[in-house]
Amino acid sequence: MMNSYDDALGIIFPNSYDSLVPQLVTERSMASIPFGARYRMIDFILSSMVNSDIDNIAIIVRQNYHSLMDHLGTGREWDLARKNGGLNIFPPYAEKTVKVYTGRVEALESILLFLRSQKEKYVVLTDANLAVNFDFREMIRRHTESGADITIAYQRTEIPEGLIRPNEIAQDLYYTLALDGTRVNKIYMNQTTPGIKNLAMNIYIVDRELLIDLINTAYVRGMSYFERDIIADRLDELNVQGYEYDGYVARITDMKSYFDENMKLLDDRNLDALFSGNTIYTKIRDDNPTRYIGNAVAKNVMVADGCVIEGTIENSILFRGVKIGKGAVVKNCVLMQDTVVGEKVMLDHVITDKNVTISAGKELVGTASFPVYAEKYRKI
Amino acid sequence: MAKEMIAMLLAGGQGSRLYALTQKLAKPAVPFGGKYRIIDFPLSNCVNSGIDTVGVCTQYQPLVLNEYIGNGQPWDLDRLHGGVHVLPPYQKASGSDWYKGTANAIYQNIPFIERYSPKYVIILSGDQICKQDYSDFLRFHKEKNAEFSVAVMEVPWDEASRFGLMVTDEDDRINAFQEKPKNPKSNLASMGIYIFNWDILKKYLTEDEQDPNSENDFGKNIIPNLLKDNRRMYAYHFNGYWKDVGTISSLWEANMEVLDPEHSGINLFDDDWKIYSRNAGLPGHKIGVDAVLENSMVTDGCRIDGTVKHSVIFSGVTVEKGAVVEDAVVMGGTVIRANAVVRHCIIAENVVIRENAVVGAMPEGDEKAVATVGSGVTIGIGAKVGPTAMVREDVKDGEEV
Repeated sequence: MMNSYDDALGIIFPNSYDSLVPQLVTERSMASIPFGARYRMIDFILSSMVNSDIDNIAIIVRQNYHSLMDHLGTGREWDLARKNGGLNIFPPYAEKTVKVYTGRVEALESILLFLRSQKEKYVVLTDANLAVNFDFREMIRRHTESGADITIAYQRTEIPEGLIRPNEIAQDLYYTLALDGTRVNKIYMNQTTPGIKNLAMNIYIVDRELLIDLINTAYVRGMSYFERDIIADRLDELNVQGYEYDGYVARITDMKSYFDENMKLLDDRNLDALFSGNTIYTKIRDDNPTRYIGNAVAKNVMVADGCVIEGTIENSILFRGVKIGKGAVVKNCVLMQDTVVGEKVMLDHVITDKNVTISAGKELVGTASFPVYAEKYRKI
Repeated sequence: MAKEMIAMLLAGGQGSRLYALTQKLAKPAVPFGGKYRIIDFPLSNCVNSGIDTVGVCTQYQPLVLNEYIGNGQPWDLDRLHGGVHVLPPYQKASGSDWYKGTANAIYQNIPFIERYSPKYVIILSGDQICKQDYSDFLRFHKEKNAEFSVAVMEVPWDEASRFGLMVTDEDDRINAFQEKPKNPKSNLASMGIYIFNWDILKKYLTEDEQDPNSENDFGKNIIPNLLKDNRRMYAYHFNGYWKDVGTISSLWEANMEVLDPEHSGINLFDDDWKIYSRNAGLPGHKIGVDAVLENSMVTDGCRIDGTVKHSVIFSGVTVEKGAVVEDAVVMGGTVIRANAVVRHCIIAENVVIRENAVVGAMPEGDEKAVATVGSGVTIGIGAKVGPTAMVREDVKDGEEV
């Protein structure tokens, strides 16, 4: 038996905004970027969907998806290993097009058969660049009540610097909404004027049948962007509603925001805002608890399981399995899983990717606006 | 499809010596080492040793244990053929019986074992903290062409009379068994872990069941009967870490030993022998600006703003500003409010210790008592729980127990 909230299918685009953080995605997608000491970005949207009774979820991957596949496995950790529905990962359909998809239209067109064969009335479309504990049930309720064709979630915020800066080169567009009441009457692309805007979160609810129609039409006409080519041009004929989200949002738009958004979780109010709602699920690693040995000092840090701390850590985020040697001093750092910091190392404003090893006595200092970044498996 | 060896885990013990901790759960479900429960050790040992079929005999307060084990997925024991099964006593056409003794618990589950036609059965106990490779034990059993083997630990001679002892010849063949003797003839203590050839075990279980005077116990009945018949019985020497955590003080001690793996020998940081557990799904722990941490273990979901010294802090524990936690085992979800002092004690799950309360004290002289607070209890503002107290009920503000 389906209840009324059951009635939505989730579609996630894990590679959206990859272009904003080229260093972090050399071997992964936006969705699999580690965030918040033990999670990957996709955990937030995926858990939010599951917690909102959306248990049929399609992930349309574009490139660099091995780390994501490895992370998601069968979907069991999100309770998505199901006979009906569950997790469906769609790799690029190489036989049909040599080029991988650029916009959502092509991506959705590649799963049109799947979309047709599903039973859910609504489709929820999202990216994976936001860490949110989002209640999709509430948004679906509003979508249903307003009689909208499409509902777009947005937040009232200034445009993040990271979105504005590279927008000549980025293939990922961002959108701001002009509203008449709750109805969207204009969609702006890559707006750069200062001030608070209705910044779209790229979370859409749309009727599944309508989505199939829209995609069919757009694809035939060679259009590729869902927002720019489909919605923005048809605001007169389609009832497009805005849905303001005022919950906690961590948005990754560049390296600095990646650093800042991690650091923001050291404030208990932010940590509570993101985690005190429903559980955010992630891949289980079976790490032991973290050990603080000898003269370890820890001040204002968030630390996942599996770490061994023998030095000093301050204002930092430590992912699972990080080792801090004796006499090392780590300040204002984001150290991803299995980073090894040797004895007497000095780190300040450093981001280390997975499995980075920093040998004894080294010193690395970045600044708040330009944190030093050490890539995956790097030995320093 | 026949299995070479399956495991039967005796998890029925009431654990009455764990008192306040086992009011609502069976002993194997008692939390241990920051994020584990005792049963994680034998279950993980099984999987790491290549045993994929485990029967868990349970009858006392099975609710938490059943839910915890679930389909066995955290231990990779959700298998098509085999896996982990919880085996409570069940109603039969001839009536139903509680498990009368350790041997009877296995006897009642003969049909379960027969489904897998195993050649060997390993009997495990659910109240020990131990990392042991059962495949090495089995190799020994086969090499000796044994019908029964028992894992033994060398204990100091002056403590030997506290144990069940195996007297062996130079080939490790057992020729006598002494249960807690006054004059020990051996210092090889039984760990309560046995490998049987299934045909032998079945024969002796069936015969034992027919003996109305039997207590249906492995130590008291089955092993003496095997000896009497001069069966091929061998003692397998184990020299890793092993601790029976059947009492409050041994449970506390074992937790403290986790903090010092370099000397105590129980290393939970072993990538080659992981201990698996069901995960609480909480974010990383958070250490505040004013917190002080010394030689401690902290688990996901904790918020530490006070002082924590030489303690094991389980997942989701809150230690507020000004609170002091020392030599303590603090289990999941417990909240220690501002300026409360918690020392040399075990605090069970979901306890609230309110502002300025004092629980336990550092021992003076030979005093070894460990204060214990049972799960779900609230200790009121400014209340005092003495160093020998066992608290099962809420303690009012300002009250002393």
